This record gives sequence, structure tokens and C-alpha cells, in this order.
Amino acid sequence: MTVIDRTSRSTPARPRRPRNTVRTAVWVSVVAVFALSLYGIEIRWDRLLDLPQNLVRYAGLMFAPPDVSALGKAVSATIESVQMAWFGTVLGIIVSFPLSFLAAANIGPVWLRWPLRVVFAVIRAVPEVVIAILILSVTGLTAFTGALAIAIGSVGTLGKWGYEAIEGAEKGPIEAARAAGGSTAQIVRWGLWTGVAPEVFAFWLYRFEINVRASAILGLIGAGGIGSMLVDNVQYRQWGAVGMLLIVVVVITVIIDQISGQVRRRIIDGQWGWQRKARTRL
Amino acid sequence: MTTPVTERPPKPRNGWKAVAVLAVIAIITIWAGIGVDADLGDIIDNWGNATGKLVQLMQPDYWFFPETVDAILETLQMAFIATAIGAAISFPLSFAASRVTNPNRAMLAAVRAVMNVVRAVPDLLYAAVLVAVVGTGALSGILALIVFNIGIIVKLVSEALDSIDRGPQEAALAAGGTWIAANRSAVAPQIFPAFVSQGLYTLELNVRASAVIGLVGAGGLGMLIDNVRTFYKYHQLSLIILEILVIVLALEMLSSWARRKLVG
Repeated sequence: MTVIDRTSRSTPARPRRPRNTVRTAVWVSVVAVFALSLYGIEIRWDRLLDLPQNLVRYAGLMFAPPDVSALGKAVSATIESVQMAWFGTVLGIIVSFPLSFLAAANIGPVWLRWPLRVVFAVIRAVPEVVIAILILSVTGLTAFTGALAIAIGSVGTLGKWGYEAIEGAEKGPIEAARAAGGSTAQIVRWGLWTGVAPEVFAFWLYRFEINVRASAILGLIGAGGIGSMLVDNVQYRQWGAVGMLLIVVVVITVIIDQISGQVRRRIIDGQWGWQRKARTRL
Repeated sequence: MTTPVTERPPKPRNGWKAVAVLAVIAIITIWAGIGVDADLGDIIDNWGNATGKLVQLMQPDYWFFPETVDAILETLQMAFIATAIGAAISFPLSFAASRVTNPNRAMLAAVRAVMNVVRAVPDLLYAAVLVAVVGTGALSGILALIVFNIGIIVKLVSEALDSIDRGPQEAALAAGGTWIAANRSAVAPQIFPAFVSQGLYTLELNVRASAVIGLVGAGGLGMLIDNVRTFYKYHQLSLIILEILVIVLALEMLSSWARRKLVG
């Protein structure tokens, strides 16, 4: 008869903690790089001590109270930025739309596909402001330059998202269209596009949301809109006007995000956001 | 060869809706076009001027490289510090911003509202204001990037949290764990790969952004860009752009490799 060791049964020894050397190594190197960065960077840390106090002081200057007389200018500057973003997005869509088909593995020829992808990658790597600085010489320092910079920047992301969506399209409808004797154009239009359209539309809207923010930035180099007004007022230390501008920017951006988010949801899910109870509003 | 012609199915009558949407888009576009003074004539007029500059841009001044090394390092350091701190702050905040992990509805709504506001302000605006508050230099840039990172990471991670498998969490709660304990032991391990992957993505964004926020005096490559562009040194500008390009592409490759490892 076997003896049952009751003590060890009631309190079994804990299994050994799994040791993962790779994970430990990654953590150690992350911490090391972080420490090196902190050590290497030239920062006047004493300024950090004054930060809380300064933040309160500047917040007071900006928002208590904001300069209401600047409201009109702030709204028109924000609208100019939004116009810049919209126009740039539309131009970007017009250019990227055909290109993303040509860059997709299931449609475009190889000799065209890879150059296009490289172009998209290069554009994505360059910030919009830098693009704007580059094309300044062609168009001058105007809001139109900003819109063009946004358009070029959008081509990089929209092109990439586009060809990825097209490559991920369901094969069934495409085969059906081909089997029915469709030409390439017909296959793309009726077999492929119908499936990927919602996703692509959603990307366009999402890119517009990004561009609203990008257009605010472009003003900092003088392309008009929010950025220009901000720089002017910060330079002359008109903090009340800066506060007013920030409030207007936040309100308009949140409104645009909400509208765009609702439309995206309508496109993707087939119903408006408020028709779904399960999903809380963001 | 003739194919038998069968009657076509009726076309779905949705045409007027599409036309209406297109009309609205066209009207907004025209309004926006007028707003930004879109004029193709300008481009054609200035084309001669532009080609000269473009030729200059095609010839980077490689001898300028030694002077850019410090700025590159600073940009990378800023990006890394800001990502690490931003991610560390974002992790607990993401749990507070997700329906699944935060039972307190009032707190949830408050956190989400604040995050919406944080996200609505572009990174460069934070930088512009912070430069005024703490002075020019890398510190203002890092602070601006941290705020910007929190906005992004919390949104992405809390959305990932919304769609996780709630089984382990329920089990932990049923076993008598508190919400914090259940989230820590049953939810955090599930979400960690997604969190790291979003962190890597923000690191990429940060390198790009920290190259730019210098334009308002927040340190890094951007300050250098501002210097050379005010003096129209296009050869040098072109080298800086090339450097940004190389760094961003290298980082993108590295992080997509790391992400594949993480998921696979």
C-alpha cells in the first residue's frame, strides 16, 4: 500500500518561475539605452523644478480669462487650417487612388509596383513641414503650399494603406468576375472595389483627421492658419489670445473627429454610432 | 460564340444618395480651394525658379555631416526618452480609459474626455507653448513629445483593451480579486504585446516629430533645419532630409521586425 504524502498534496511546491533570458536582455538594454540617453542629452534639469509653478502661471495667463476679442481671428484661422487639410486630402486622394491599385501585388506590374512602394515609403518618412519647406520655392508662402504639402504627405500613407487593403481583398468575387468573362477593368470595378471600398473610404476620413492636425503645424513656417496665428501671438506674448486659439482648436478638432468617426462607423458597420448601444462614445 | 442573354437583375436604386454625397464633397472642396487660394498658374509661373532649387536639393552637401551628428543624437535621445516616459505613464492610464478594465463609469468618462482634448492639440503646438514656458532646448521638446505620446498610446491600447477576451478577468474577479488585481494578473499579460508594439510605433512617430518640433526651438534636427532654411542652404537641407529618411526607414524596419517577433 502506498503512503499518500498528505502534506505535500495540500501545499504543492510552486512551479519554478519561467526564466526568459531574451526578455531580460531586452529589458536591460531598454533601460540601458534610456539611461544613456538621459545622461547624454543636454538638459537644464533645474528648469524642470520650476515647471509645475510655470505651468500654473502660464495656464492662468492663457485661460483665466482667454482673450475673447481674439475669438473671431481664432475661428477664421482654424477654418483656414481645416480648408487646407480638406483640399490637401482631396488632392492626395485623387493622386493616391490610382497609384495604390498599381502598387498592389494582385494588379500592378512588378516594374511599377516596387518603385511606387519606395516612393510611398520615402514620402512617409519626411514630415509634412519639411515637404512644405521643399515646395515653398515653387508656390510661395501660402495656404495653398500647405495644402500641397498635405496632399503629398497623404499620398505616402494613403498609397500604402490602399495597396494593403487591395491585396487583402477577398478572392471570391474577383474569381467570379473573371469567370464571368470580365475584363481587368471590370474585375477591378465589380469584383475587387466593392469589397475594399468601405475600408478605403475609412482610410480617407482617418487621413483627413490627421491632416487637420498637420495643417495646424504647417502654419508655423508661415503657411497660414492656426500655426501662423499661434507663432505671432507667442512671439508677442499675447497669452490670452493663445489660450483662446487653443480652445477653438480643441473644440473644432473634437467636433471634426466626432463627425468623421460617426461617418467612418456608418461606412464600416453599416449603421451610425449612436444606433449601437454596445459601443460607448469615444 | 454567342452567350444566351438573360435578363439583368435590376440595378439597386441608390444612385441619388451617391450623387448627393459627391455633390456635398465637391462643394466643400471648392469652398476649401477658394479658402486656400488654390492657383495652378502660380506653380507654372514659378517652375523655372523651382527647378534650380530642386537641382540643389538633389546634391546633398555631405561635408555638412559632422555638424549634424550632435543634432541627430539629440533627436534620437529625445525620441527615446519621451517614448519611454510616455509609455510608462500611458500603461495605467489605458486601463482607466477602457470600459473593460474600469468599472467606474464616471472616472472612465472623465479620463476619455481629457484624452480627447489631449489628442486634439497637434504636437508642434505643445512644443510651441512649452518652449515659451520652459525655454528653448531639448527639455521642452521631450515634454511636448511625452504629452503627444500619451494621447496616442492611451487611445490605441485602450481600444485594444476594449476587445480582449474577458474570461481570465472574470475568473480572477470571481475568485475574489479586486479590479486592480484582476487587471494586473489577467488582463495586463494579454495586452502587453499590443502595448509594446504601439510603443515601437510611437517611437517611429517621435523620431519624425522630434525632427520637426525643433522648428519652434525645441531641440534636435528641427533646430538645424530652421537654421539652414532661413539662409536658403538647400544643399545642407537636403542632407538633413536624407538623414531623417535613413533614420526613419531604419527604425521602421527594426520595429516591424520586432513586432513580427512579438506577435509570432
